[in-house]
Amino acid sequence: MTNINGEKLTMQEVKEIIKGYILEEFLPGENAAELTDSTPLITGGILDSLATIKLVAFLEQRFQIQIQAHETMIDYLDTISDIAQLVSSKM
Amino acid sequence: MQRILSRSNRWNRLLPITLILTGAAITVIAVAADLLNFGGPRGIGPRQVSLALSGFAVFVTGVVWISSARQRYISEWFQVALATIAVVFAADLLVINGLPEFGAKHLALASIGFSILTTGTISASSADGRNVGLWPNLLTLDKLQISRFLSIAFQLGLLVFVVRLFRLENQALYQNLMLLTFYGFLIHYFLPSHYRLPFFLFISLAAIAGILGFVNGIKLIGIGLGLIGICHLPISYNARVVILLVTGTALAALRAGWIQSSSLDVIWPVLASMFMFRLIIYMYDLKHSKATPTLTSSLSYFFLLPNVVFPFFPVVDYSTFRRTYYNEDQHQIYQRGLQWMLRGVIHLILYRYINYYIMLAPGDVSNTVELVRFLITNFALYLRISGQFHLIIGILHLFGFNLPETHLLYFLASSFTDLWRRINIYWKDFMLKVFYYPTYFRIRQWGANKSLIFATAFVFFLTWFFHAYQWFWLRGTFLLTAPDMLFWFILACLVVVNTLYESRRGRKRILGQRYMTAGDIAARALGTAVTFTVMTVLWSLWSSDSIRDWIALISVMKVTPENIAVLLLVFLIITVVFGLVIWISSLADNKTEKNLKQPTSFGFNAVTVGAIVLLFLIGNPVIYSQIGGKTQELISDLTANRLSDREAALLQRGYYEDLIGVNRFNSQLWEIYSKRPSDWPTLTETEAARQTGDNFIVELVPSTSISFHGEKLSINRWGMRDRDYERIPAPGTYRIALTGPSFVMGYGVADDEGFEPLLEDRLNSENAGSLYNKYEILNFAVPGYSAIQNLMVLEQKALAFQPNAMFFMAHQREEEAVVLYLADRMSVGAELPYPDLLEVARRAGVEPGATKVEAERLLQPVGTEILSWTYRRIVEVSRAHGILPVWIFMPTLENPLRHEEIVHLARVARESGFIVLDLSDAYDNQDLESLVVAYWDKHPNAKGHMLIAEDLYRKLQEKDKEIPLFQ
Repeated sequence: MTNINGEKLTMQEVKEIIKGYILEEFLPGENAAELTDSTPLITGGILDSLATIKLVAFLEQRFQIQIQAHETMIDYLDTISDIAQLVSSKM
Repeated sequence: MQRILSRSNRWNRLLPITLILTGAAITVIAVAADLLNFGGPRGIGPRQVSLALSGFAVFVTGVVWISSARQRYISEWFQVALATIAVVFAADLLVINGLPEFGAKHLALASIGFSILTTGTISASSADGRNVGLWPNLLTLDKLQISRFLSIAFQLGLLVFVVRLFRLENQALYQNLMLLTFYGFLIHYFLPSHYRLPFFLFISLAAIAGILGFVNGIKLIGIGLGLIGICHLPISYNARVVILLVTGTALAALRAGWIQSSSLDVIWPVLASMFMFRLIIYMYDLKHSKATPTLTSSLSYFFLLPNVVFPFFPVVDYSTFRRTYYNEDQHQIYQRGLQWMLRGVIHLILYRYINYYIMLAPGDVSNTVELVRFLITNFALYLRISGQFHLIIGILHLFGFNLPETHLLYFLASSFTDLWRRINIYWKDFMLKVFYYPTYFRIRQWGANKSLIFATAFVFFLTWFFHAYQWFWLRGTFLLTAPDMLFWFILACLVVVNTLYESRRGRKRILGQRYMTAGDIAARALGTAVTFTVMTVLWSLWSSDSIRDWIALISVMKVTPENIAVLLLVFLIITVVFGLVIWISSLADNKTEKNLKQPTSFGFNAVTVGAIVLLFLIGNPVIYSQIGGKTQELISDLTANRLSDREAALLQRGYYEDLIGVNRFNSQLWEIYSKRPSDWPTLTETEAARQTGDNFIVELVPSTSISFHGEKLSINRWGMRDRDYERIPAPGTYRIALTGPSFVMGYGVADDEGFEPLLEDRLNSENAGSLYNKYEILNFAVPGYSAIQNLMVLEQKALAFQPNAMFFMAHQREEEAVVLYLADRMSVGAELPYPDLLEVARRAGVEPGATKVEAERLLQPVGTEILSWTYRRIVEVSRAHGILPVWIFMPTLENPLRHEEIVHLARVARESGFIVLDLSDAYDNQDLESLVVAYWDKHPNAKGHMLIAEDLYRKLQEKDKEIPLFQ
């Protein structure tokens, strides 16, 4: 995948970037191995509204994409895989 | 045997034909039973219906079997329709000349079940065609699956009994919906997966028609289909929104009564509940969702099965509704549903206990301890909402909808944002999805903090607005009160501040197991205690009639060292209790984490089964009647679906006043009010009654005749709801002056159906001409009259008619009635002609200018003194004019009877000089619900009045020496 700045990233790299951000911003000190691609983030209480807003801001800034309001829901942001899928669809 | 069967094509043709012919024959015999004259009552009855359904099930089995793979679906749809009818029939919603017996229900269900099982086997192996050799495969079903099914069916069956034994919520739930859920689940379990959602939809629609009535059901479904149809018109999205808004406005005009139509009164609460929020979400998802909705999922979403008995309903999200449908192992979904249903039942029973025994009326709060009790129990009444929601979502789980939790230990919220995330989670998600994120995204260029503040405040503004909007649709009036607005404003401020704090400082989140240290637990417990305390105070504001009343309530607590010590002690206890609960919760959470990868654990299920069995045993009269004593009384009372004393008092006041105090969704009372038709006025809203502008407050208008609630109500020339009489009685007449409130006047029954005319007629028909030529009872009763007003009736009206006796009809709330009346008179500065009463009020601390609520609170403790003075005065005036004073206790149907209350009131009456009669057993061995005018009006109906007349006549005969009416 390539963003508008020409940065080329694989799906796995996108996932690692997202995972790194979530761990650093919302789960400091937690075991990184516990956060998998399928860990429920919204339904698991890790991403509340504040965290979602911060995450969206990060994704837009890091990957140079635009996320819509309706793309903040479970269908798009509940797991790292879902988030990566959303990002890749916009790159 | 299998080889023989499978080789024989003859069997493959013969068996289905045999089934078709047998099924047809059974159906025809059942339907034609009258013509063939097999005896029994004339007309189609439930047994014929059962037989016909069974016969048709056999018939359809044969047709499915004989059909080609391409055409099989037609007869399979017949099967689904037949299954719906059978389930509705078994749930007592299909009444044809009587309710079906146990055998009839289960014959129909068994036939349908057999049909589905056998044809399901064919569908599963359609490649083999119609091979009878598959029959033995039925007998080798997965043993684990059977045991799990039986476990779930057993638990569900017991839960149905528990809900019925405790008479939870309303009759439609415990008598019909729970049965529908149970039988529906049994059939649904065995249906092929592609028929399950349509079957759920069919039984949901059938429940609407069965519970609301066929005509009302058609109206509701018709309007609903129209609204859903608008969402899918082949025009632009914005155009559809406009049409929906126009249609909504027209419906609102109907609801508000601007366009007269009482034909929709019954369906409004349910129709509104199904569409007022779900339409918003649905339209939002139509615009933004990736998946295209199917007809069945859309209709199922709006006409959700439990909605017909729960007008107050969680705001289910459409995307979630579709995404979570059978997204996990079915048995895990069903078991979770059962656990939530159990949780809901426990919440509802706890709510009932608090409502009946612990909750105080605001007017009864007179010191700090009572204030604390009121604050905590008032907030705890929210258990009713969470109980209903758990029950609703649990029921939906049984049909495959693996919806998330609606509430998450909301009493354990450690901050206001935490509370927002835990209490009514569906509402929070609705607000976030449709309003918060779209708003935030639109304004985020304002900067992070400004956007957060504005978006959060906007969400709380909308929550306040939608609360009033919901009230409008459910009750027909828009809720605009200062306490309501102030509550949401303060809560918004608290959440905004909390949000900004979390935005800066972050919030601790955890992955996997984490053991809380003592410090963690203490900090969390303290935060929880603070949040809980603030919320109890805010909640008391929200449930007050006015800000002034709320301030008067809070002001009960004077700032003294003792009171501060009490508050600190209570706060400490709350903190410790929360600390213990948090610690136990964290241990339980960690255990769950370990078991995450295992199927629903045996231990958890065992607890669920055990709890259900325990509730079943406790609620069973065969069991608890063996316990005896206070425990038996408690359980018996908890299994009664009644109003609490507070609610009964409010209901009675509501006959005379336009109350806003019934605007709490967690009150039983609002449900009564939501069922009241819009054309059901109070008497004071008709031309038969008018305000007097004096201490009588209201009186009946002389020479008036109206139709009141469908019955003739005539007021004679003297302003009595009675026949006409001369002012001076004829010689030889025994005349009785009767006083009392609305149930004595005969509120809700026809002119000749009240106990007074019945008694008068009987006295004349059986006794006239012996001791007396004639008996006359003059009915001076007026709705809402307390003993003080009846004293004024005696002095200023009744004496002129020269009665021989005065029958003073009393009820359970005698003391409260005089307190309310005196408080009202004091609050408006009225000149009461009773200086002794005014002195009592002054000594109690009631000062000029006090509000009614303040005066009530101060007069409550001296209620007996006020009543006693009034009774003595009545007796003195009566005896001074040669009138025999008789006090008669007549039970009302809103209030539960308490023997000690009746004993107390009778003693006050006796000590005042009355002759006392007690009619508290007049309604013994009667179904009290069969004695009321309507569900929303607990005045006695004609049958109730007849029972009172009979009992009163009997008691008068027993008191013949003191009350010489008879020869």
